Amino acid sequence: MLQFDQVSKSYPGGFVALERINFRIAKGEMVFLTGHSGAGKSTILKLISMIERPSTGRVMINNIDLSRLKRSQIPYVRRDVGIIYQNHRLLMNHTVFDNVALPLVIEGFTGKEMVKRVHAALDKVGLLDKQRCLPQTLSGGEQQRVGIARAVVNKPPLLLADEPTGNLDPELSRDIMRVFEAFNQVGVSVLVATHDLGLIARMRYRTLTLKQGRMINDGLMPAQEPL
Amino acid sequence: MSILFSSRAHGAKASRVNAIQRVVMFFVHHIRQAVFSLGELWRTPGSSLMTIAVLGLSLTLPTTLHLLVKNVQQISGGFAKAAEINLFIRDTATPQQVQSLKTILEADSQIVGVRHISKEAAMAEFREASGFGAALNYLTDNPLPDVLVVLPVHTEPAAARQLQQQLEKERIVEFAKLDLEWLQRLDALVLLLQQAVVAIGLLLLSAVLLIVSNTIRLSIINKRDEIEVMKLVGATDAFIQRPFLYTGLWFGVFGGLLAFLVTEALLWWLRSAIASISSLYQSDFQLQAMSLHEFGGLLLLAILLGVMGSYLSVRRHLRAIEPS
Repeated sequence: MLQFDQVSKSYPGGFVALERINFRIAKGEMVFLTGHSGAGKSTILKLISMIERPSTGRVMINNIDLSRLKRSQIPYVRRDVGIIYQNHRLLMNHTVFDNVALPLVIEGFTGKEMVKRVHAALDKVGLLDKQRCLPQTLSGGEQQRVGIARAVVNKPPLLLADEPTGNLDPELSRDIMRVFEAFNQVGVSVLVATHDLGLIARMRYRTLTLKQGRMINDGLMPAQEPL
Repeated sequence: MSILFSSRAHGAKASRVNAIQRVVMFFVHHIRQAVFSLGELWRTPGSSLMTIAVLGLSLTLPTTLHLLVKNVQQISGGFAKAAEINLFIRDTATPQQVQSLKTILEADSQIVGVRHISKEAAMAEFREASGFGAALNYLTDNPLPDVLVVLPVHTEPAAARQLQQQLEKERIVEFAKLDLEWLQRLDALVLLLQQAVVAIGLLLLSAVLLIVSNTIRLSIINKRDEIEVMKLVGATDAFIQRPFLYTGLWFGVFGGLLAFLVTEALLWWLRSAIASISSLYQSDFQLQAMSLHEFGGLLLLAILLGVMGSYLSVRRHLRAIEPS
């Protein structure tokens, strides 16, 4: 479903963020992406969500080359990919309900159908009772879960998470990972970028490992060198 | 519409709605958006009022000037009735000939009326007005001719000139005099005024456009984070720009209304002063206010400028904001 084909990304000034990355993620698979900070995890997520475009190579979703899409088509790609950001990226002066409803409003949902879906998404992350709150009044873990609810509210087939447990205590991290597993079990492909190796060890999913912009382990072959 | 996943039921369009419902939803959505933008203005009353005031006053000046031109045209239209043709009759003509010419001219469909000023009446008038009085007594005979004053139906310079040339061909007419020059000067002045108003109007309207554009630009910059988030969750440019366009529309509506009110107040203020002047001139001049048509035009123009100004800004700045 998701395929990176010889993808490199370099920035002006010569910094090479990714170098000839190849990997595939199958439909319904749950995969971890790990590596030190600066290894290129976020860049990979940005390429999938079309915030950045690759310098060379192809990023394909469902065999469609993202670099061939026009600027005007980017919003429609983003509707198919639910993304959870490390810094949450919530609308701070809107309620939790409004934040989660945003993707639905954008797609033209109204009335009961919208409310039903928002409630379902908030219920899954256990925040149904906080729907009238503003994000500022919530804890970091709760804000993160609002972000998750927003990412899944329109039921995207692919879910990306960038350090979703970045600054949460282990118990909260486990809760959040359980939420991802629950989505994975209903057929959503999940890609979680994290440097929390303890978490990865506990979860036992396929793990892609990046080091200085190169993929040193795509999780399908035994590790060639220790991280 | 899903580009990547063709099998994916997508958006509200995927749920069962027929064409009529979709059209109704379209309007409901736009009305909701308009009300929402109005609410946004309401939430920041200070800056909104400032912007509306600037727009309103900027629109007031061209509106007032337009009314000024309209009223001056009305006055100069009144003056045009004075485009009389004076026919100076040859000395050799008998009073009967003059009488019959007068009758003929009165029957002419191009002529409203004819007035006869006889030699004697002219002499009496001249004696009174000139102050030569006694000196005129030394004249052995009356050198003044008979005059027929003709008031044409069509008082426009070209038509009056044509009639004058036609009347000059009458046998007993020495020459026909049409005092058009001052009328033409007045017309030229009115035209100049009109063009000045158009120029000032254009300048002020562009100012309105820029004010709206700049205000919207500031509000786009204020909402930068929000716009980034919206782009990240898949909002199209059209979706993001819609509230800003409606904000521009409301600026136009309120700016136009304010301009109307200020202009009306100005007219009301001037009305009594003008009435006293026109009574001194024994004129029944009435200051003409804005017609319903003109009010509609003003409002439409204001709305158009609001939406256009907002669109200019939105086009330039929304594209520039991209999430990173």
